[in-house]
Amino acid sequence: MGPLVPQEIIGADWNLFIAFVVGIGFGFVLEQAGFSSSRKLAGMFYGYDTVVLKVFFTGAITAMLGLLFFSLFGWIDLNLIYVNPTFLGSAIVGGIIMGAGFIIGGFCPGTSVCAAAIGKIDAMVFVGGIFLGIFFFAESFPLIKDFYMSGSMGPLKVSDVFGISGGALALLVIIAALIMFKLGELAEKKWPREEY
Amino acid sequence: MTIKNIIFVGLILLGVVIAMVPENTTKPYKLTAEQMLVEVQGAAEMVTADEVAHWIIEKDPTLQLIDVRTPDEFQKFHLEGAVNVPISVILKDEYRDYVDQGVKMNVLYSNGTLGSHQAWMILRQLGFQNNYVLQGGLNYWFDTIMNPEKPASTSPDEEFAKYDFRKAASGVFGGGSEATLTAPVQTEAEKPVIKRTQKKKAPAGGC
Repeated sequence: MGPLVPQEIIGADWNLFIAFVVGIGFGFVLEQAGFSSSRKLAGMFYGYDTVVLKVFFTGAITAMLGLLFFSLFGWIDLNLIYVNPTFLGSAIVGGIIMGAGFIIGGFCPGTSVCAAAIGKIDAMVFVGGIFLGIFFFAESFPLIKDFYMSGSMGPLKVSDVFGISGGALALLVIIAALIMFKLGELAEKKWPREEY
Repeated sequence: MTIKNIIFVGLILLGVVIAMVPENTTKPYKLTAEQMLVEVQGAAEMVTADEVAHWIIEKDPTLQLIDVRTPDEFQKFHLEGAVNVPISVILKDEYRDYVDQGVKMNVLYSNGTLGSHQAWMILRQLGFQNNYVLQGGLNYWFDTIMNPEKPASTSPDEEFAKYDFRKAASGVFGGGSEATLTAPVQTEAEKPVIKRTQKKKAPAGGC
């Protein structure tokens, strides 16, 4: 049956509309979870607040289990799901840049828009920075194109790299996530902050 | 046991379940038996030899001929521009771009109609689009296009128009005219030379 959009059970127009509704919902939940506070986000790196880790890993685990069980029941064809192609070199460097920006600015791209929407000035500056970054990246693209395209591995799944089934990897991810949740709570106890 | 721990245990249990069960790698059929019945009875997947000849002569870029016979048979003779996708390997990933695409018009053919129709049924049930079957297969192709039979003098004009086209097409494909009706073997031998000069590596458009 699924996925609905690639098989055109849901048309392109409805796809946009649904994306709009889901996007609004996503932003709302981010705001409600306190993710429009850059102190809360930065807490992840200093150890006094690990809600970010918990929320996003819970989201990933829910989606992962959902997809795997839907596939098991024959409700969705995983072969039709779009998998981002991996470019190893640029992914590592891009991840470091993104992480550094996250710590310095106190937002990730999604939460910055969320915080700008409720009127936080630092978030608006952050969004301006995003656009500057996009501009400079696009303008300098010819210079870094070779590196950008390096390490191309195609649409790769971690389970394929390790040679285990998707379900086994899912179990490992769940266990790893729960261990990280526990470590996060320990960190929160070790480096507590009263007001933030 | 706190709610949090219950959720933790539940997640691990779900993880164990999904790790134990085999992955569902079956590719479910997209069309139901009833839908297939309607399609088969409608016979909309059939294209005539005349239509195909027309497209080949016009070098229609959307036409992709797919020969579902064995490689041996393909080597001996195939229509120009055809790619060989034997029915035994038609589900392999390497041919997926040929049989599952939304750009070209695939015309499957075999010697008769049986092999091509078997392939078409499988592809259609998987939900793949743009696959058609050459009506009558290569046998009919030889009978009509390569060696057209002159209609009786009392036949309607359309029959003569068809005959004229087939005769001309037969000339294009290097087949015998009406005079060489007894020499289909000769035409078979001539064919491959023509084909190899043609673009064989037609890129199948993926998405």
